[in-house]
Amino acid sequence: MSIPTEHILILASLLFSLGALGFLLRRNVIVVLASVELMLNAANLTFLAGSRAHSTSDALSMEGPVFSLFVILVAACEAAVGLALVIAFYRQKRTVDLEAATELKG
Amino acid sequence: MAAVSVACALGVVVSRSPMQSVLNLLGSFLALAVVYLLMGFQFLATAQVLVYAGAIMVLFLFVVMLLNLTDKEPAQSWLMGLFNGRVLGSLASFLGLAALGMLAAGGATFEAFEGGLDGSHEGGLDPIYSVAEVLFSKYMLPFEAASVLLLATMVGVMLLAKRERGEEDLGQGGGAA
Repeated sequence: MSIPTEHILILASLLFSLGALGFLLRRNVIVVLASVELMLNAANLTFLAGSRAHSTSDALSMEGPVFSLFVILVAACEAAVGLALVIAFYRQKRTVDLEAATELKG
Repeated sequence: MAAVSVACALGVVVSRSPMQSVLNLLGSFLALAVVYLLMGFQFLATAQVLVYAGAIMVLFLFVVMLLNLTDKEPAQSWLMGLFNGRVLGSLASFLGLAALGMLAAGGATFEAFEGGLDGSHEGGLDPIYSVAEVLFSKYMLPFEAASVLLLATMVGVMLLAKRERGEEDLGQGGGAA
């Protein structure tokens, strides 16, 4: 109980902004997926901070870790499917540049 | 630790090569695991190291290395496609198995505590005990839904890889058959 909750929230928001920045600015699909993972991690950290702020002195509140576990699980699924799509995309286009995905452009 | 995590996250976004950025991501995950540990969530720190730093990082590094090493010869890419489908499918199933195994380990610990050490550990003091208690009573339905999601992901990734392989086989002609 040594770290204050505000510091954890500041760290989470920093991580989330960095992830969003990478998601919006980068053009490499792999880096974009990595940024998504960063944002999910920041959300996990927020869950844990909330759970810790709500727990009493003798018992930790366990809702936050459970939800974080679900988030980790969804992140694992997302990474597997996303990277499979990256490989399929690469086989078609011979690049991992997002600018090459213009087939649906009107 | 927070500073290390933020610095590595910055590295993810600004580094030029995807390899560097994925390795920076690994550093960020590990630093976050230590932060979880400092906050008192041992089980989640373990899960973070196993699933993120272990399984997801293996997937990322595998894809980065595969795509960097691939050349444009068609024969090479046909072989690569065959290899690819199998390895990707098995990696995805490994990932799912790791996550499910960890959840099951949580449950096993719960039962061991309930059966063996009756009353010697008060619930709520042991982190894994309380995680399992909440997970298997209040959040049973999301837990089941998560297992269905893992199965769907496994099948979906295999389908993606398999269809690609079939197309490449057709494109290559009768040499393979």
